[in-house]
Amino acid sequence: MKRPVLTLYCLLVYAFLLAPILVVVGASFNAGNFLTFPPQGLSLRWYVTFFHNDVFMRAIRTSLWVAAVATVISGTIGTMAALYYVQHAGRWKEAVRIAMLAPLLLPEVLTAIALLFFVYAIGIGTTTMIGMVVGHVLITLPFVFINVSASLESFDPSWDMAARSLGAGRLTRFRRIMLPLIKPGVIGGALFAFIISFDTFTISFMLKGIGTSTLPIQLFDYLRTNFTPEAAAVSTVSIVLTLVVVIVSEKVLGLRIHRF
Amino acid sequence: MTEVSIERLTKTFGSARAVDGISIRIADGEFISLLGPSGCGKTTTLKMIAGFEEASEGAIRFDGKDVVNVPAEKRDIGMVFQNYALFPHMTVDQNLAFGLEMRKIAKPEMLSRIAKVLDMVQLGGYSDRYPNQLSGGQQQRVALARALVIEPKILLLDEPLANLDAKLREEMRVFIRDLQRRVGITTVYVTHDQAEAMTMSDRVVVMFGGRIAQIGAPSDIYERPENLEVAQFVGQVNLVRGTILGGTITGPAGAGKSRVASVFGDVAVDSRADHAPGTAVTLSLRPEAIELKPAGQGGAQGKVMARYYSGSIIDYRIALDSSETLHVQTFPNIRIAEGDRVSVHAPADGFWLLGAAQ
Ligand SMILES: Nc1ncnc2c1ncn2[C@@H]1O[C@H](COP(=O)(O)OP(=O)(O)O)[C@@H](O)[C@H]1O
Ligand SMILES: [Mg+2]
Repeated sequence: MKRPVLTLYCLLVYAFLLAPILVVVGASFNAGNFLTFPPQGLSLRWYVTFFHNDVFMRAIRTSLWVAAVATVISGTIGTMAALYYVQHAGRWKEAVRIAMLAPLLLPEVLTAIALLFFVYAIGIGTTTMIGMVVGHVLITLPFVFINVSASLESFDPSWDMAARSLGAGRLTRFRRIMLPLIKPGVIGGALFAFIISFDTFTISFMLKGIGTSTLPIQLFDYLRTNFTPEAAAVSTVSIVLTLVVVIVSEKVLGLRIHRF
Repeated sequence: MTEVSIERLTKTFGSARAVDGISIRIADGEFISLLGPSGCGKTTTLKMIAGFEEASEGAIRFDGKDVVNVPAEKRDIGMVFQNYALFPHMTVDQNLAFGLEMRKIAKPEMLSRIAKVLDMVQLGGYSDRYPNQLSGGQQQRVALARALVIEPKILLLDEPLANLDAKLREEMRVFIRDLQRRVGITTVYVTHDQAEAMTMSDRVVVMFGGRIAQIGAPSDIYERPENLEVAQFVGQVNLVRGTILGGTITGPAGAGKSRVASVFGDVAVDSRADHAPGTAVTLSLRPEAIELKPAGQGGAQGKVMARYYSGSIIDYRIALDSSETLHVQTFPNIRIAEGDRVSVHAPADGFWLLGAAQ
């Protein structure tokens, strides 16, 4: 401990960030009937209740499904947009960037209401999940875009030229040279997209299909009438799921590559 | 193998002419350098030969076939970049295999070719290293190997030594030159370093502002520069004023020479063009051609203003009594100090007639 002040400062920041989560996780193991911390006795009963609650189970499946679909679409569109932005936008570069980041700049409620009007105006409505998926893609797109364009900016154009001189066509160059080298950006962006989609409330609340619900909405709904530790169990499971996604993709897809 | 012919090649960016109608014929197996200051269009020329830039006008022929419309990936060229451009996510082996895979070379042949080339660049045993595990000089040699292993028609190098330190740079000059001789591949080498161009090339193309100022063998460029700009770019020169004298110089030794009156007396000077008697001309005089002697031994008289010792040579700045300043370079075996008065001798063959004085 060479720098006690700095160390203390870091500990405080971590405490500030993690304390609420620890409280929720702690409260989820409550044996009592009310959402309290510290828990009144330890038990897994609220997890059992949660896993037997069909409404929650359906909501969690919907959330995972929407997040997965939105991540794939957003990852593809965002990567292509970043490619255009870095390599071909020329004097439109700044305009493209602002347009891509617009969903970040607008309040989410506004985006949601505008989209709601839009899906009804074009006749899609909210009988399907299309509107909600579109909304999720919209709000996650900037994160993919930012991450991928950052890694593209450090992509040396002479790598592409070298591959060309060695006889590689456009597709081969993308697959074998560019994609592996910008992979950290793509995966990072996709992770952001997944987590944000999984957690978002406003967009889902406005655009969810009739009769469907995502986990955050279902939780909010539940908390309006109940105050049991089941809510904490739901939150804990949601946190664990997010962590699992991050860790698995890091291990399986690999966020690290060789750099100089 | 391959002869390259470039005809009136031009590249415009907007209204700027980066390359302005250059023509070069490169013989099979020749090592040619594009030499010029930064921004004179060397890289652009190289990129047009490689196919990375489209030519605005003109033709590029490999063995007589126009390749202007052939995309870079089909031109069969080997390219070495200033920053090496090794693929950072691939090992040395994988970097070398890439071009062979594109050519669908069978595995056994691939392995033997990679081994052979790695041996040639003295990197056997480095197959499994990643580029970031190699020194700059080693990366440079991998880049060279990667370009050569595909056995391309032409080898193109863009300032490949610019990122190396001075000592390694000199070693690599010799290394690349020897390798090129052994492989016998037609080579275009871009550099802004005149010493590099001189030591490595069969012929040097000196470029300024998108145009060719002179093409010739290194000795030609150095000893018979086309104009002042070339003379100053390929080495240090002293400029001496002179006046053309009448009368002809006879005998074979006098062919192509003009008699010029200068501060060094009347000298017979090599020149490309004839000038009328009485014309004021500018002569170039190379610093290493001048001889210094203690005062009172004939020649032009002057005083040593400064002396710069650098081991193998000494540089002197001499103020002549006729008010000209000379830069003189000698071996360090003479004992002349700052402030000494000196006699300055310049042999006739140290002069070159650059042209009429401006
Ligand atoms: N893509 C480009 N767009 C506009 N101008 C360019 C481009 N590439 C090169 N130039 C200009 O062309 C000229 C020649 O450049 P370059 O061939 O790179 O010179 P060199 O390699 O001799 O230093 C320079 O003035 C440069 O600014
Ligand atoms: Mg250049």
